[in-house]
Amino acid sequence: MRITGSIARPAAARIPWLTIGVWGALAILVLIAYMRAPQATTAVLTSTIRQSTPIILGALAGIMCERSGVINIGIEGMMLISAFLGFLFNVWTGDLFLATLGALLVGAAVGAFHALMSITLKVDQIIAGTVINILAIGTTGYFYQQGLTTRGKLTPVSIPFLADIPIIGPVFFSNPPITYASLILIVVVHVLLFRTAWGLRTRAVGEHPAAADTVGIAVNRVRYINVIIGGMLAGLAGAFLTLESVGSFERNMTNGRGFVSLAVMIFGKWTPFGAWGGSLLFGFANALQSQIQFLKNQLPSWLAWIGDLPPQFIGMLPYVLTIAVLAGFVGRARPPAAIGKVYEKE
Amino acid sequence: MQKSLLFITLLLVVALIAACGGQQASTQPTTAPAATTVPSQPAEADCPKPEVLCVGLVTDVGEVDDKSFNQSAWEGVKRAERELGAIVNYVETKDAKDYAANIGLFIEKGYDVIVTVGFALGEATIEAAKAHPEVKFIGVDQFQAEVVPNVAGLIFAEDKAGFLAGVLAAEMSKSNKIAAVLGTNLVPPVVAFKEGFENGAKYVKPDIQVISTYHPGGLDTAFTDPKWGADQAKLAIDQGADVIFGAGGKTGNGALIETAANKGVYCIGVDTDQWETLPEARPCLISSAMKLITPGVFDLITKAKEGNFPAGNYVGEVGLAPFHDFDAQIPAEVKAKIAEIDKGLRDGSISTGYKP
Repeated sequence: MRITGSIARPAAARIPWLTIGVWGALAILVLIAYMRAPQATTAVLTSTIRQSTPIILGALAGIMCERSGVINIGIEGMMLISAFLGFLFNVWTGDLFLATLGALLVGAAVGAFHALMSITLKVDQIIAGTVINILAIGTTGYFYQQGLTTRGKLTPVSIPFLADIPIIGPVFFSNPPITYASLILIVVVHVLLFRTAWGLRTRAVGEHPAAADTVGIAVNRVRYINVIIGGMLAGLAGAFLTLESVGSFERNMTNGRGFVSLAVMIFGKWTPFGAWGGSLLFGFANALQSQIQFLKNQLPSWLAWIGDLPPQFIGMLPYVLTIAVLAGFVGRARPPAAIGKVYEKE
Repeated sequence: MQKSLLFITLLLVVALIAACGGQQASTQPTTAPAATTVPSQPAEADCPKPEVLCVGLVTDVGEVDDKSFNQSAWEGVKRAERELGAIVNYVETKDAKDYAANIGLFIEKGYDVIVTVGFALGEATIEAAKAHPEVKFIGVDQFQAEVVPNVAGLIFAEDKAGFLAGVLAAEMSKSNKIAAVLGTNLVPPVVAFKEGFENGAKYVKPDIQVISTYHPGGLDTAFTDPKWGADQAKLAIDQGADVIFGAGGKTGNGALIETAANKGVYCIGVDTDQWETLPEARPCLISSAMKLITPGVFDLITKAKEGNFPAGNYVGEVGLAPFHDFDAQIPAEVKAKIAEIDKGLRDGSISTGYKP
């Protein structure tokens, strides 16, 4: 069998000069900023990682689902339900590890529900995802009670020696557990999708299920497993919100981060590292807009006008950046060919 | 066929569960504890009589024991029960569209004073007041743009509360850098808190660096985004801020809980004594910039009874909450300074520098 197009490995021969240029320029900017204000620069970069964590986990969830041909716009809902139940597990058991595990299982269960609806019951996959989103807001809002308190949240763990490197140390090697997990998972998902037989099958099922079927791949089984794994990743994003970032729950606390994940996934052309780039950009823009507000009174006179902009305008920054980059740099984003289509044997 | 049936059932179940999220309104007021059947005592049925003072309270969406606005207001009403012999009762609002109906329950029974809690009930309160000029209304946190003769809006000088919090923060800071994590600048009280906080800090330490940030979202997310609040607190702590003021509902709470997870950093809460409302923040919470709702509500009920009900805006007291476990760590001269500045703010010799 001949495999063509994006089922094969992404073309490695072409050197992505544009990507290298953009990231190189950013690195130089960071160095200049570091020399002028080391503490603030490190703080902004740490915040970038922190704000990008739920986004990249959500995007990885989307990649796992959509690479196998199942649209998942229910990431927001999956995150919210897992965040809520993870929080409740924490309240009941007081054990953060068990609570994280619980959130993962809840994510898997909601993923299985999505798979049941969109694969077995052949529901329109957009509708199935929407059902999950609405269900999540309704049920968590209904069952949440004010006044539930927890005994803490996951705290940063410094890796000896590595954490002492300037810039890189505090940014990458002094994080709480789920942040480390997300960084590792980016590599794991990349290897899984592009270096293993399972990944090849997943992509085959997402691009041309009929062909995959003729070579003996159980299309729906592959899709089921991928959607459940995706659910677990979204569950981990939810666990990040309540168990690591905030330590408490609030109604609709995902605040659209699941949808941003989807944008980031498309931004990264359905690849883990591309999506990571997108989520970092998003996290950076968010951290930057706060930093601009922090430094409002210290900006040099020729930049003072930035400090006078309303926070809502600066808050728009991440989204504008996303649109600009999507429109200008990435070019046409091509989803997996069989996405959203139910596979039925002829 | 079977599959589509299964799907329809599934969808119905889902719809049912989702619909439950909407919460039904319970419009039945719980029976008042005072309304016992002792014949010599006046009961709720006597409310239409002019000599019997009846006070009803309508909560904002939430319970009367929410350890926040609703509870503080209800405690003021209960004080009126004890000290003025009033008959009191409350209705818990379950859904924002029931405000008018819940106010109506008390009007029907002939209540004399109705307390509505929260900015959101403002419109419903004014409407009911115009239709029923014989009933007095107390709107907690409801700014009155025009004077309606039977409505008193209990508002607070948030800038003064913020000013005191700023003084405390500046005095407790060792790094000479403090931060404020705020709800949105679209809500004037939040801006007042921020300006007061910054000016208060600079009043005692003119060279202090105050870094503050407003939530960039709209009203729908600005007060319910604890993740954002936590992120901002961390960003500020990472660049050396060692006292964090969280003022913005759940968003501010996120900042307080995050601060609690960092050693050697203090935090200051807002609105009520957050030592009670947010136990997670206790490791860092030195005080809260409070609006004293309970005495405000009680004073207004007393004035209504005495017949000198102040229509329009009524400015209630503000102040710092007790220091609780941090009492020993706060030097006596700081406490004295706060008391002195509090006095100055009250008699007008110190200005917060905030202009609405």
